[in-house]
Amino acid sequence: MSSKEEILSRIRQTVGTGYAMPEIILPAGAVEYGDKTAQFAAVSESVGGRAVVAGKGADLNEMIRSLYPAAKTIASNIPEITLATFNPDKTGTPYELDGTELAVVRGEIGVAENGAVWIAQNVKEKALYFIAEYLVILLDAEKIVHNMHEAYRQIRLNDYGFGLFISGPSKTADIEQALVTGAHGAKGVTVILTSAV
Amino acid sequence: MSEEHAKNAARFLANKEQEQWHNETLWQVRGKRDRLAMAIPEWETLREWASGIKMHTLSHLDRYLEQFAANAEANGVKVHWAKDGEEHNEIVYGILKERGVKKLVKSKSMLTEECHLNPFLISKGIDVVESDLGERILQLMDEPPSHIVMPAIHLKREEIGALFEEKLHTEKGNSDPAYLTHAARLHLRQEFLTADASMTGANFGVAATGDVVVCTNEGNADMGTSFAPLHIVSMGMEKLVPDYQSLGVFIRLLARSATGQPVTAYTSHYRKPRKGCEMHLVIVDNGRSRTMEMGDHRRTLKCIRCGACMNTCPVYRRSGGYAYTYFIPGPIGINLGMLRSAKTYAGNLSACSLCCSCNNVCPVKIDLADRIYAWRQSLDRLGKADRIKKGMSKGLKFLFSHPALYRLSLRLAPLLRYMPRFLMYNRLNGWGKGREMPEFANESFTEMWKKGKVKTHTNQRSHE
Ligand code: SF4
Repeated sequence: MSSKEEILSRIRQTVGTGYAMPEIILPAGAVEYGDKTAQFAAVSESVGGRAVVAGKGADLNEMIRSLYPAAKTIASNIPEITLATFNPDKTGTPYELDGTELAVVRGEIGVAENGAVWIAQNVKEKALYFIAEYLVILLDAEKIVHNMHEAYRQIRLNDYGFGLFISGPSKTADIEQALVTGAHGAKGVTVILTSAV
Repeated sequence: MSEEHAKNAARFLANKEQEQWHNETLWQVRGKRDRLAMAIPEWETLREWASGIKMHTLSHLDRYLEQFAANAEANGVKVHWAKDGEEHNEIVYGILKERGVKKLVKSKSMLTEECHLNPFLISKGIDVVESDLGERILQLMDEPPSHIVMPAIHLKREEIGALFEEKLHTEKGNSDPAYLTHAARLHLRQEFLTADASMTGANFGVAATGDVVVCTNEGNADMGTSFAPLHIVSMGMEKLVPDYQSLGVFIRLLARSATGQPVTAYTSHYRKPRKGCEMHLVIVDNGRSRTMEMGDHRRTLKCIRCGACMNTCPVYRRSGGYAYTYFIPGPIGINLGMLRSAKTYAGNLSACSLCCSCNNVCPVKIDLADRIYAWRQSLDRLGKADRIKKGMSKGLKFLFSHPALYRLSLRLAPLLRYMPRFLMYNRLNGWGKGREMPEFANESFTEMWKKGKVKTHTNQRSHE
């Protein structure tokens, strides 16, 4: 018998009473936010990140430039981001992304309760999300949901087979519980909330 | 053994300042957890669901495992099954060897600790690099973690500064956490960029999709898996959840319970290997199916390794992770140790005051203290009763000599009836041997007792 069969047959002998799956429907009074954008921005701040609103017709390139005036190597595969100094999808291996100072990517869904942004991999090498010193995520403000239940109803992975929620910068408190940002990944994350209105 | 636990705790307690810092810091984490939990009116519903989802999944585990494995395989992931730690290690080594891997970069995984993977791979000549900062610190020190979420919580910055000075050639005498963290960032980045393979644990496996979900704050799992062409996932078979809707419940609970954060910085879903790369998944039993046979103890399999039960435990906070003989400390560690080998780890049973605080913070509602109580009841059968009960008395004495602990332990009240009077009132100092007993200890206890506050203390709820 293979280990697989052995394990499964042992489990079959022990599963016992079948417990029913709870029905996941939020009770009345569950947390909801009057202003999801404001809540998202407040939590982003509290986790060491930042969310800024770009009004209609705002010049994103100008905004990013003023947020990161010193950035020299800027990666983006978004055509509108003209201040990008290179297209990360044109590089050969993930190793070539080392040294990227700023990456500008698109997020799909924002979560008001925890400031997380869902990204189904949308660059050739996912390394970009982590190796860039700073990360800017463009997110449609309309795409902010209240909580993770809503977010998980909407997320989909694409053919890359990788996706993630990012909430604020990489951080650690492993030395005496002192919070330090930039443990391995981005030292800073700014979500730019774009809006049609 | 209980004697061992007492001795280890005494060593920890010898450094008073450190003990106090450890205690207070973990209590602060507990406080952060409370603030976030209280901001969510449906918190208790989430805990109910989490518990219910896990019980449901465990009671249909054969089906969910098959579904999960089939989906993972369809996604191009190679799935392996390991009956025990040894088979797990052989599988991992086999994969590495076949591909000529010299350097493996790992993110934190309690399962690989459980299987003793690192020493095994190192003995085979593989360069194993832990990449979680806390784990890396301990690896450089050649010591095990003392907490499952905050592995280096027992260390002071000066010790880490001195270690880095020696190993990473940082500035002499500089123990600033930001400086040291950035030194580690540079050091580990080189490791990420030069590793031939990466390894992660799994916080969750999603049966419906085959996703492996890994939650970290540092992004170290992500860095590891982004470069090396081979990713191996080591996953305990109890990590499954049925689908995304159930996953959402756990993601809401995990970081809030663990560190008092609304969510970890990264919640990564690995479904397929990177283009042109390989992803392997090792599903591990290693005693879990045996635990499933053990009646109510099966509930410990619901654990999502958040560490909240440690942060809240008055004994853990005051005695440190190394006081326990099993590699996972605190209330869950006491239980997991007993399930691993009741004979070997029974001594840890003394490290519990039955205050039940752990029961009340556990996001998946494991009745940890009740399990410990049940184990104690079964000690007679194990022929260990006398020795362990002696140890328990010591634990209680320790508790009574610490008024703050005592206040947290009001749930203990019913048990007092069974305590011999001399134990409650004598001045022996149990685990805190050699340690000065706070003068007001007995007095405040007596006072409270006289005023009947033991049963009616109004602060009880906030301590739960
Ligand atoms: S037993 Fe509960 S509180 Fe303790 S680590 Fe596991 S899930 Fe967390």
